[in-house]
Amino acid sequence: MARSLGSRAVSPAFEAEALASLDSLYRTALRLTRSPVDAEDLVQETFLKAFRAADSFRPGTNLRAWLFTILHNTARNRIRDRARDTVAVDSEIVERAAERPPAGGIVETPESLLLRDTMAPELQAAIDALPPAFREAVWLRDVEEFSYAEIAEMLSIPIGTVMSRISRGRHLLFEHLNRLRPVNA
Amino acid sequence: MPNHSDRCLAIDPLVTPYVDGHLESGDRRTVDEHLQRCAPCASRVAAERAVRDLIHERRATLARSCAPDALHGRCAELARLNDDARPTSRADVFGAARRLQPTEGARGHQPGGAARGFSQASWRTRLAPLALAASLTLLVGAAFLYQLTESSSRVLAAELAADHVKCFALNSMLHTHDSPTAVESAMVSGFGWRMQLPDTGSVAGLELVGSRPCLYGEGKIAHIMYRHNGEPVSLFMLPRRVRTQEVVDVLGHEAAIWCAGDRTFVLLARKPRQEVDRLVAAVQASLR
Repeated sequence: MARSLGSRAVSPAFEAEALASLDSLYRTALRLTRSPVDAEDLVQETFLKAFRAADSFRPGTNLRAWLFTILHNTARNRIRDRARDTVAVDSEIVERAAERPPAGGIVETPESLLLRDTMAPELQAAIDALPPAFREAVWLRDVEEFSYAEIAEMLSIPIGTVMSRISRGRHLLFEHLNRLRPVNA
Repeated sequence: MPNHSDRCLAIDPLVTPYVDGHLESGDRRTVDEHLQRCAPCASRVAAERAVRDLIHERRATLARSCAPDALHGRCAELARLNDDARPTSRADVFGAARRLQPTEGARGHQPGGAARGFSQASWRTRLAPLALAASLTLLVGAAFLYQLTESSSRVLAAELAADHVKCFALNSMLHTHDSPTAVESAMVSGFGWRMQLPDTGSVAGLELVGSRPCLYGEGKIAHIMYRHNGEPVSLFMLPRRVRTQEVVDVLGHEAAIWCAGDRTFVLLARKPRQEVDRLVAAVQASLR
């Protein structure tokens, strides 16, 4: 797409559309890193790579999902760079946990009523407390509203794994928030 | 798993798309019928739905935080950085990428040569069936390869500035600290470069942090990290003479670039230019 605009490598339209996703990339980076400094650094590196690889973006496909893919890969490479072995073990545990269906019969009262009074800061803290793989899956699906297929491509995992991570993440959130409710709620 | 029949296990993969309203009517009916008979699964579905609905209700607030203005500014600047230095054709990039795939690194790359026998039509054909992630890796690899050869000093400085920030963020978490002897032997074992590090005593407040092979450029760039009065300073060394001497202001950092012997050096810090010049002079004196 860029070549049709002469010598300019990043077209104004590409640049504008990419920068329009900056806030949501930053929010997701915050969830991934839980550190504003690291999140800024991660987003900056994402844009550096995106603009340098702008030629490889196929017009007509989803630019926002493409940027999130770069963000995720960059974050994953950083984590691997920090502790290769830790990541390998961690992801194994995550996959095993995701395969195990959560226990049934968690509550006796209508579940939505239990969570009705949960405010955003409390919910945000509960999301941040999730293990990284579940946190990322729930965030991308329920807040950033990507499809299962888009998330699967971003994270390079099968769609079934995406769904099981979302499911497990939601149940962990439910259990976490439920524990925070007063006994007489 | 207690109390879970085979039927419950069969339903399990359908639960999340059921909650999200993405099931075909046949599957949806199957789940509905099962939930009417199975209280544990009905409870599990209700819990998942409750959380989903809660996040959706609070979504506007959760998604309210915005990136700092400074980050918007820096990312917009990154787009403009690419305008002044691109390869002469796309084929150059893909040719370079292709040559990167086996074991060849940046060494031996001749501008223009990569395009031979590798037309734009052929790389389009090659790329078409690739998944997004695969083509992305190829291109990003190529982008960082040609920083060593063809890109402008400004683009090189921007990429090194990003690496500088990343390495120091890592360092402040890991608290690694190498001795001058360890860094000098890492330069010999990792890069085959015998060198004497600048005597930190010659510059007040200069302290050696450590070294690492730069993540970009297939590990061909050595990165020696210092702190000067507590602030990060990076000295990068590239394996060939590819730059003329200049100081570039990029992403809030000053990057001083010069050549000595068969190498290119880049000293990078978020400091006033006079201070960077002073640090460069100290490094150059020690490398003579």
